[in-house]
Amino acid sequence: MTRVYVGMSGGVDSSVTAALLVEQGYEVTGVYMKNWTQDLPGMKCPWADDLADAKRVAVQLGIDFKVFDFEKEYKQQVVDYMIDEYKAGRTPNPDVMCNQEVKFKLFLDTALADGADMIATGHYARTENGKLLRAKDENKDQTYFLYRVTEVALQATLFPLGGYLKSEVRELAKERGLYTASKKESMGICFVGKVGIRDFLSQYVETTPGKIIDKQSGETLGYHDGAIFYTIGQRHGLDIGGGLPYYVAGKNMDKNEVYVTTQLNDENLWKQQIELQSLHWINEAPTDGEYHVRIRHRAPLVPAKLEGSILTLTDAQRAIAAGQSVVIYDDTTCLGGGIIT
Amino acid sequence: MVSVNTPQIYLDYAAATPLDSRALEAMTPYLLDTFYNPSSPYSPAVQVRRDYEEAKDAIAQVIGARGNEIIMTAGATESINLAFTAAGDGHVVTSAVEHHAVLAAASQYDVTYVGVSRHGRIDMTQLVDALGPETQLISIALANNEIGTLQPIRDVVEAAKVERIRRQATGETRPLYVHTDASQGLGLIDIHVSRLGVDLMTLNAGKVYGPKQVGLLWAASHVKLQPVVVGGGQERGLRSGTENVAGTIGFMTALVRAEKRRRSEAERLSVIRDEMKATLVDRFPEIAISGNPKFQLPNFLHVSFPGVDAERVLFALESKGVLVATGSACAANKGTRSHVLTAIGLAPEEADGSIRISLGRDSNQEMCQQAAAMIGDVVASEYRRMRGAR
Repeated sequence: MTRVYVGMSGGVDSSVTAALLVEQGYEVTGVYMKNWTQDLPGMKCPWADDLADAKRVAVQLGIDFKVFDFEKEYKQQVVDYMIDEYKAGRTPNPDVMCNQEVKFKLFLDTALADGADMIATGHYARTENGKLLRAKDENKDQTYFLYRVTEVALQATLFPLGGYLKSEVRELAKERGLYTASKKESMGICFVGKVGIRDFLSQYVETTPGKIIDKQSGETLGYHDGAIFYTIGQRHGLDIGGGLPYYVAGKNMDKNEVYVTTQLNDENLWKQQIELQSLHWINEAPTDGEYHVRIRHRAPLVPAKLEGSILTLTDAQRAIAAGQSVVIYDDTTCLGGGIIT
Repeated sequence: MVSVNTPQIYLDYAAATPLDSRALEAMTPYLLDTFYNPSSPYSPAVQVRRDYEEAKDAIAQVIGARGNEIIMTAGATESINLAFTAAGDGHVVTSAVEHHAVLAAASQYDVTYVGVSRHGRIDMTQLVDALGPETQLISIALANNEIGTLQPIRDVVEAAKVERIRRQATGETRPLYVHTDASQGLGLIDIHVSRLGVDLMTLNAGKVYGPKQVGLLWAASHVKLQPVVVGGGQERGLRSGTENVAGTIGFMTALVRAEKRRRSEAERLSVIRDEMKATLVDRFPEIAISGNPKFQLPNFLHVSFPGVDAERVLFALESKGVLVATGSACAANKGTRSHVLTAIGLAPEEADGSIRISLGRDSNQEMCQQAAAMIGDVVASEYRRMRGAR
């Protein structure tokens, strides 16, 4: 019997994942990855409750349950990376990093060393012969976060939810009476889900107020509490009142200045050509040519031409922030992608 | 969310008791109609003050004390904090198996922890050795809240007496007080202060079918305390804040009713408890039963299934409507193992496989045997699963 270690977060998706694998005849072990346990101002980290919920479901399913403690590695490889990127004025994607470094490397390796033949997660994605394919649920598809995973990892991975809609997964949980069937969704990386990136960063980064400057007039419109909190294209949270909405059109980290504009057609807000760095291809590198790309999670797929590390979008796109990932697709196959410079 | 469909067998009375319906009835008028501040001068408020004082007198009568020796608090933890002020600048002696409230309070003082036997009884030789000229407070719970062992409080009081006589002879003036937290087992064991011989006693309404966040500290009139909560000077200045009249009335009603049936209830529960124990021991001869067979709360059963993960047992039981406590959170998950189970020398695999069953008013033989069978089934299936694993 194939031994599968399922990452169980205490949420409904990973609960159903484990249940489906049990029904499919796998020998299943549930694993809670203990990545983050610290409370943040005004928010108690729910890890202990999540762990208990994951364990409850494991008990319901009659499967083994383990806790893998990755707290140290997660802090180093995901959180510190995220903080460094923000400090450098970029907008990183910690979920991508978490999948690359923790779930599909550390978890995989630890599980295999512990006797697993494969791992499984509750991601909405599909995999076939070491390829990463988009999920049936277009709205939930999580391949954007998975583009830096390796072919070798995918060959040892199951994504049982890839063929289901989210609504169907909820239904499966209810039919099976799973303890987590009506549990609320957690958003993005757990620890910034509820407190917000700003509150999180202010725990780790000393920030000083700086000017918010109108890009056209050069006039100081107000003050912000740290340029790292702002990202290109951002409209809300500027606290400068009146008239037309302002958008962040640029920032200078050295001067700690944020530049804004009311001009939605400002050249900085729109980008057609993107230079990618840290390119990662899941299978062999694709040839130059026409593909579809996604510039953020759940953004529509847009056509683009790939030439080496330069991507030319057919239509210019708004709010393309350095540090974010562009993920490249050939039909339903996720090929990989790179990070916007 | 609490499921309303599964009928529940509640076996965790040591954690919380349901409110006695008579207590609720007695409390209600003080919440809705005569809600007055007992310090107000008009006569309806004066009446409330009288009712409050009478309730305290009635509580005092149950414990063999006077109403003006009782300080009402918001629960046992606060009472314990207040009791520890009696230690002044002195040394404190307590045991290794005390509740966290006592351990945390004690850690603020120069403190000696006395060890316990395999059965959880404090080592009296160690206690006597721990007493020095600077010792001002000894704090030992009347009954342990995890395994239900009763402590030899009268022996502790005797030891204190010997030390006091020694001090008298040498002209030393430092006082020595004995405090006991008698919250656990309230309504099941004797809590008469003169029979116990203690100087201070903590009680908690929430353990005796009274409301939560209501407790008291009884302190003999010779004990000097410092307020923890200061303000308007209520409770002889030792616990300021508008009196919790309804809570006190509820506590009194629940306590008086529990005390009335104390002996018969203790007898009834110990029979049911012993039957449960027999059922489990018959089925799993390898289990460890903790606590002292002779000096034990009548409603407590602490069982350890070696190698089993007690939290899994708890979760499996809760889905069947049976609510128990684990003796210890699995160390692998939370990095904590019960200090009590460690102190009595349980092996880690026993400690992690421990559940605490505590019976109460609504427990009866039928449901407890049913629960014992369900516990047995869950544990058996855990053992099967573990054998199946590599």
